[in-house]
Amino acid sequence: MARRISLGSYYAAVSPIHALDPRVKIAITLLYMVSCLIARGAPALALATLLALATCTLARIPLGRFARQLRPLAAVLVVTSLVNLLFADVGDVVAAWGPFAIRTAGIEAAVLYTVRFLLMFAMGSLLMLTTTPTAIADGLRGLLAPLERFGVPVGEAAMVVSIALRFVPTLARDARAITTAQTARGADLAGRGPIAYVRACIPLATPLFTGAMRHAENLGRAMDARGYTGSAERTCWHELRLDSRRDGAAIAVAAICLVAILALSVIG
Amino acid sequence: MTSHASIIQLDDVTFAYPGMASPALAGISLEAQPGEHVCIVGPNGSGKSTLAQVVNGLLTPSAGSMRIGGIDPANSAESALEARRMVATVFQHPEDQMVTSVVADDVAFGPENLGLPRGEITRRVRASLAAVAIESLAQADPADLSGGQRQCVAIAGALAMDPQVLVLDEPTSMLDAPGRAAVRSTIERLREHGITIVHITHDVDEALAADRVVALNGGRIAWEGTPDQLVRTPTLFAELGLDEPHTVDLARQLEARGFRLPHTIDAQLLCEALADELRTRRISTAVPTPQKSRGHDASQPAEPALSFSQASYTYVDPPHRRLLPFIHREAPRVPYAIDCVSLALEPGTVTALMGRTGAGKSTLAELACALKLPCAGDVRVQGASTADRAARSRVRRAIGYVGQFPERQLFAATVREDVAYGPTNLGIAAGDELDRLVRDALRACGLEPTDELLGRSPHQLSGGQRRAVALAGVLAMQQPILVLDEPMAGLDPAGRDRMRRLIVRLRTEGATLLLITHSADDAALLADRVAVLDRGRLVAHGPARDILRDPRITLPQNDGLGLGEPWALGFERALATRGIDLPAAPLTVDELVEEVIRYGTAHQPR
Repeated sequence: MARRISLGSYYAAVSPIHALDPRVKIAITLLYMVSCLIARGAPALALATLLALATCTLARIPLGRFARQLRPLAAVLVVTSLVNLLFADVGDVVAAWGPFAIRTAGIEAAVLYTVRFLLMFAMGSLLMLTTTPTAIADGLRGLLAPLERFGVPVGEAAMVVSIALRFVPTLARDARAITTAQTARGADLAGRGPIAYVRACIPLATPLFTGAMRHAENLGRAMDARGYTGSAERTCWHELRLDSRRDGAAIAVAAICLVAILALSVIG
Repeated sequence: MTSHASIIQLDDVTFAYPGMASPALAGISLEAQPGEHVCIVGPNGSGKSTLAQVVNGLLTPSAGSMRIGGIDPANSAESALEARRMVATVFQHPEDQMVTSVVADDVAFGPENLGLPRGEITRRVRASLAAVAIESLAQADPADLSGGQRQCVAIAGALAMDPQVLVLDEPTSMLDAPGRAAVRSTIERLREHGITIVHITHDVDEALAADRVVALNGGRIAWEGTPDQLVRTPTLFAELGLDEPHTVDLARQLEARGFRLPHTIDAQLLCEALADELRTRRISTAVPTPQKSRGHDASQPAEPALSFSQASYTYVDPPHRRLLPFIHREAPRVPYAIDCVSLALEPGTVTALMGRTGAGKSTLAELACALKLPCAGDVRVQGASTADRAARSRVRRAIGYVGQFPERQLFAATVREDVAYGPTNLGIAAGDELDRLVRDALRACGLEPTDELLGRSPHQLSGGQRRAVALAGVLAMQQPILVLDEPMAGLDPAGRDRMRRLIVRLRTEGATLLLITHSADDAALLADRVAVLDRGRLVAHGPARDILRDPRITLPQNDGLGLGEPWALGFERALATRGIDLPAAPLTVDELVEEVIRYGTAHQPR
């Protein structure tokens, strides 16, 4: 059957990472991402990489599957690397062609940003792979619960996130079916120039949009019929309870590693 | 309270959608007893789904009164909520009812909304999964399940609400035959639990399995009675927008030829009666008609319209080149979606492509239409390889593709533009010629191409009309070869009939068709040849008559594929066990009638 879309999809397995409290996972992932933005220097980045690889191993996710998850990022990384390489204007010139010059600072920046983005995306993917959309929604609701006091509809927002994640594969499949059908009707999807391109996209975008509306209407009705009101009385089947050993260990390891990354970055 | 026993009681209920001229429901009075299984039937637009939403409280009647479990939802907000909680609903689209990516969590969604404590949620999730016998799928991702399994998850989710009444709104209409069978047996099992079921359906078999059938037409109750009463009045089926059961069809046709047979849905009973008739009754009116020869005369081998030669396709990326080529390791086994298929379609024939879900049927269809390219082997359309980019436009003009649910590809602002999209892209017509193509295609699909229709937005049309417009958008391209991927899926009986007539017509006009279907009866009725895929391999290909009689293909016993056999064939076998050996095996009910007449005239009782 059709290839599974990996974005937003959950990799079912029994592992210590899967079993972690989603609040802990979300918080650590976010802090890790921030640390990645700050991290500089080989030791810090190596430690961050090690942390990501260790998480992947502990989560029992095959490396091939993990790598596939990262592939969509490749194009973005190539572009940012090129920009960094060619437009850095400090440092020694390593090579030059006409107006373009590659300087040491450019190489440094290219490597640094590539590694940073890669690591951030990797940890985000690991969160998605090891946490079901429901758990992510529960976790977000748990983390953001204090905001409810200020009138922020945290429960609804968490449900929106969960459903959005759940429908990514569905919409991807719709998109593929529509592209196939319009190609068979001779659609030329490689339009020349921006206006022609937009015109060529209408036969794809319109049915995809109406399809999304149809899903939304059906889902809304089904949720209504199952008593969803978004009220505060709603309970949560999976109780979020911090496991002192498992979650405690994760918090401790993460805290030490993140502090180490920051320290190494400051020194480096 | 007049009849406190009824769990559902509607009195003269009327409902009108705002802005609509006529009410969707007009003066409906309906009762259901606890544990009763009521089927609601009727053509599209007859008000079935509106009735379902009134019963489950999603819509409030504009006039009339109703009670659910003795509670009038109009009394107060609390009683409305109480009434609503007694009714759970399962909808048509399995995909759009799943809120999360773990089956058990999805089943827990309703109880969570009810604000139940954890222990109770766990108990209900377990009990609901057990009630539909899918405990083993508790931790699965609904996206990995078949449509039938997903619909069973939706039923479990509804049961977890612990309802008194379960409303099923066409739960099987989007499913293939195995999925439909799974959901039906689940529904059958629920009856043992004593839950009241209000079941909306187009399917005659499902209607006849109910305790009571209520037929709607134009928002009113057109007929109400037991399945037995329905069967005894065969003209009702067409009136109520239902398919005629095969047994009733056969009995009616044989009666016209002088037989006296019971009207029943029990094939064994009919078979017994027919065997008796054949042993005792002289066939007087019988005029044996020569058997139609089906299939193409293999007089001269024509160039195939479409051919696959050892074509393979895989969704998995080809194995990467090894970094260290001197280390010899066995190449990883790649799962092929299509594995070395060789198949040729003669011009002017209809080939039914059959196989279980996931066998690769849709992939093969996309390979045929150059929507995917084979990773090995060759696919040729009128001699041109689909891999040849220079021949691509020739291929596109030669072969058309109607995917599943083609109405989902409609995009243009008007019907005219949408139908004209393909022909314009292919550059086959413009101006008046294009206008003629558009109108002809719409007419062929059963829509009268008035200027009013041509100027309307396709999104304002009904479901069946949208399907017709989408089909017209393909037919307007005038391709001599067409691939149809389950064109009957999700249509009501009238729509399916129209589609069958269209296929027959296209064939007589000389088109070559590849028809993906799950229905052995449709294959028997429409196809010259049948090709069978199993796990990407072509396991059988030949004349429909041979393949559809092959027990390894049709029956599940002895590791057979179990794709199902034409109904007439099963009936013929049942006759044979009673000592009636028909001269030739019939594939359709019409052929069965002729064979019975032939047998009767040859074996006149003394």
